[in-house]
Amino acid sequence: MLPALFGLMPFGFVAGVAAIAAGMSAAQGIALSVFSFSGIAQLISSQLIAAGSPVIVTVAAAFVVSLRLMMYSAALAPHLAHLDWRWRAGLAFLMTDQSFASAAHHYGEAQAQARAQPNMHWHFLGAALTLYVSWQVAVVIGVVAGAEVPPDWSLDFAVVLTFIALLVPVIRTRADLAAAVVAAAIALAASGLPYRLALVTASIGGIAVGLAIEAWRRR
Amino acid sequence: MSTWIAIAGVSLSTFLLRASFLVFIDPHRFPGWFRQALKFVPPSVLAAIVAPGLVMAGGTLDLSPLNPRLLAGLVAIGVTLRVRNPVAAVVVGMAALWSLQWALARLA
Repeated sequence: MLPALFGLMPFGFVAGVAAIAAGMSAAQGIALSVFSFSGIAQLISSQLIAAGSPVIVTVAAAFVVSLRLMMYSAALAPHLAHLDWRWRAGLAFLMTDQSFASAAHHYGEAQAQARAQPNMHWHFLGAALTLYVSWQVAVVIGVVAGAEVPPDWSLDFAVVLTFIALLVPVIRTRADLAAAVVAAAIALAASGLPYRLALVTASIGGIAVGLAIEAWRRR
Repeated sequence: MSTWIAIAGVSLSTFLLRASFLVFIDPHRFPGWFRQALKFVPPSVLAAIVAPGLVMAGGTLDLSPLNPRLLAGLVAIGVTLRVRNPVAAVVVGMAALWSLQWALARLA
């Protein structure tokens, strides 16, 4: 978890800068972060708000890029089924790419060693809360100090790098690779579309190709 | 005002997606193809974000071998394949970008 924390600080900072650059007030930038707690959703909605997009388009784009959280939810549900709904709702609110990866790893190991892990949710909560607080600190620093960073530092590139660090490990099969390559190609080819529709189109195209390849291989 | 509504809508979306199977729906009662499709969401969405960040930073496609972002991104991909550590990707990638920008400015 600790290395993930350092990797996320520049990302949180950039998300804070992006909110202010989009014309949000400090209160709005911080509220977006405190309640949505998702770097990707924060960045996408900042870009769309900056472009003056209709609310429904902004929300739809954030929804599509956040669909992966639904997959994490499905993957963790069996491990947390013994908890009451308040625990599950709280852990759901705090779930991120990083805390999911950490929790999935721990539950996987426990399963491999055939150990029951009735108290693992405390571990998950501690890790997720640490991440939550550090993230908000980084966002607030970005909101407050963002305008002072010289553009030739290219700090926005740190965001691309954190996405590379997330992308590489999720490519495990050829179908994953094909989905990623097709999504990347569509994202570039469709970049002229308004409202970040390229991102949404590319995501759907990548998913379709992944599904098609898997269906074809299973025949 | 519309910004506040967008913030509320985005926050509600992220929470409902996170809580979907953990709080509201039994995963076994969902069609198999849907869970299959969800598997491909991370590689597709992440690749669709990364690609323009590497080769379209200026708004136009730049696939030249002298594009510092493309080169630094390839370095970061190489680092991530060897060590599964997000800090390494960010630190090495930023160092690569800054040195390439510096070197290319000298060349020009």
